[in-house]
Amino acid sequence: MGAVVECSALTKFYGRNRGVEDVTLVVEAGTTFGFLGPNGAGKTTTIRCLLGMLKPTSGESRVFGERVTLDGAALRGRIGYVAGDVRLFERETGAWHIDYIARLRGAPAPSATELIDRLEFDPSRKVRELSKGNKQKLALIVGLMHDPELLILDEPTSGLDPLNQETVFEIVGERVARGATLFLSSHILSEVERVCERVGIVRAGHLVAEEDVSDLIAKHLRDVSVTFAGPVPAGALDGIEGLTDVTPSGDVTLSARIRGDAIDTLVKRLAAHELADLTIAHAKLEDVFREYYVHEAEVDA
Amino acid sequence: MSWTVLAATLRQRRWSLLWYSLGLVFYSWVMVWFWPQFQGTEYVDIIERLPEELIALMGSSGADLGTLGGYFETEYLGLMWMLIVSSAVILYAMKAVAAEVSAGTMELVLAQPISRVRFIVTRVVGLVIVSAILTGATFAPIQLFGPRYDIELTGETFALLYGLGMLFVLSIGGISLALSAGAREAGRPTAIVGGALGGMWILHILAEVSDIAGWFEPFNLLKYWRPADIINDGAVAAEVWWVYGGVTVASIAVAIVRFVRRDVA
Repeated sequence: MGAVVECSALTKFYGRNRGVEDVTLVVEAGTTFGFLGPNGAGKTTTIRCLLGMLKPTSGESRVFGERVTLDGAALRGRIGYVAGDVRLFERETGAWHIDYIARLRGAPAPSATELIDRLEFDPSRKVRELSKGNKQKLALIVGLMHDPELLILDEPTSGLDPLNQETVFEIVGERVARGATLFLSSHILSEVERVCERVGIVRAGHLVAEEDVSDLIAKHLRDVSVTFAGPVPAGALDGIEGLTDVTPSGDVTLSARIRGDAIDTLVKRLAAHELADLTIAHAKLEDVFREYYVHEAEVDA
Repeated sequence: MSWTVLAATLRQRRWSLLWYSLGLVFYSWVMVWFWPQFQGTEYVDIIERLPEELIALMGSSGADLGTLGGYFETEYLGLMWMLIVSSAVILYAMKAVAAEVSAGTMELVLAQPISRVRFIVTRVVGLVIVSAILTGATFAPIQLFGPRYDIELTGETFALLYGLGMLFVLSIGGISLALSAGAREAGRPTAIVGGALGGMWILHILAEVSDIAGWFEPFNLLKYWRPADIINDGAVAAEVWWVYGGVTVASIAVAIVRFVRRDVA
């Protein structure tokens, strides 16, 4: 396996404003890499540098072993890109876009019909008549219809309903199973965990961590809210390692935050009590950053 | 050059190009139709009695209004035509790059395997086609309908009008494209080109009465467009070809270099 995507000390400033700074990462062929970070962290800037749309201020990026330049047309022929902020020709139809991109690529699009069917997209309608979700579908179709070797997807499920999100992940999973490499940018933790093997976490323009998704899952932060059938039993949640921020809310409800695999201990403990309600939700990405990466950075410093 | 991008470019500009062309055809026809009624009327005497500066303001370079060349220059080609075709090519040039960058569609196109040089060269070819169509829509009706209204232009005069007219349009379009090629949105470069043309126009008028403004005349693009000389005498000074040709080539080269080096998203 060789590296398909490489960034070496990649830095991009827009005037005085930082896009990304000193980002170094490697994505091996046939693997799935999640680029995780909040909005404005520098994910899209990194992707645009990889596609040769932006000229790095310093550092470099390589795709398929070749240095990315502003005029790297041949490289882009092997990449399927779906932009996060989908922009299309408003006065043209979906069918026109599909035909236009196919002509630009100089080859018929083998998967176009299949993708149209699976995403239940109507290509006869003009883009200006489409909802955000349908525009996203069209962007996915034109990005994936050539069965590219490298998929660069920037927030690909933005605006899609859960059913279509499911279909997109199925399609992406199939492409990866056939040997494609995936570079998925997202600010949704669960999305990256679901699709990717490895994840790079970017924050304020810096790559603050890079690790296997299994390690990230072990670090899971969840927000828990327990409503007991009666008054909160004394010591109900005492002694559970990884449980923090336990806060009563009224007489019957407790909320708390739990880390990693302590969820199993928590559920077993709660099973001994009669519950009226139980909510367990992934903590916000920012909270994960705060809990792990900011803290780790402070310790390192 | 990419035929795919060229076809898409012309398709997306087809309605504005059609309306501009129809407008020019109609305007040219009206001018041709009006010529027999204009000749020898008191209107000519009245205009010729106006101060030179005022006549210049109407677009005349000083040619006798009673002549065919003077008539066309003062009433049409010296000002109104320049405004119409300039607005058309400025619009084209801004949409060619800056407006596509701000609309985000440039990102979609340049994510495909097309080189930037091919893309911008295709846009230049589009500019040449648009300029040719606009110029044709201006002068072809004069040549076509003229004989019915006592207007006879020789083939050479028509070719000179067409050639120099197209070069004039291309030079304005080239400057606009050079500005658009480095811009993130169309407003600012449009204002710069529009302001520069407006400034040239004012300086051109002031040059009639001011030595200081006269100093700028050699650098004034509008000064060299003298359709009256072409229509009346079939003459174009060699320097005129060099000025418009040079500005066109240089501005297109700048547009290509700027676009190839810039960030497009």
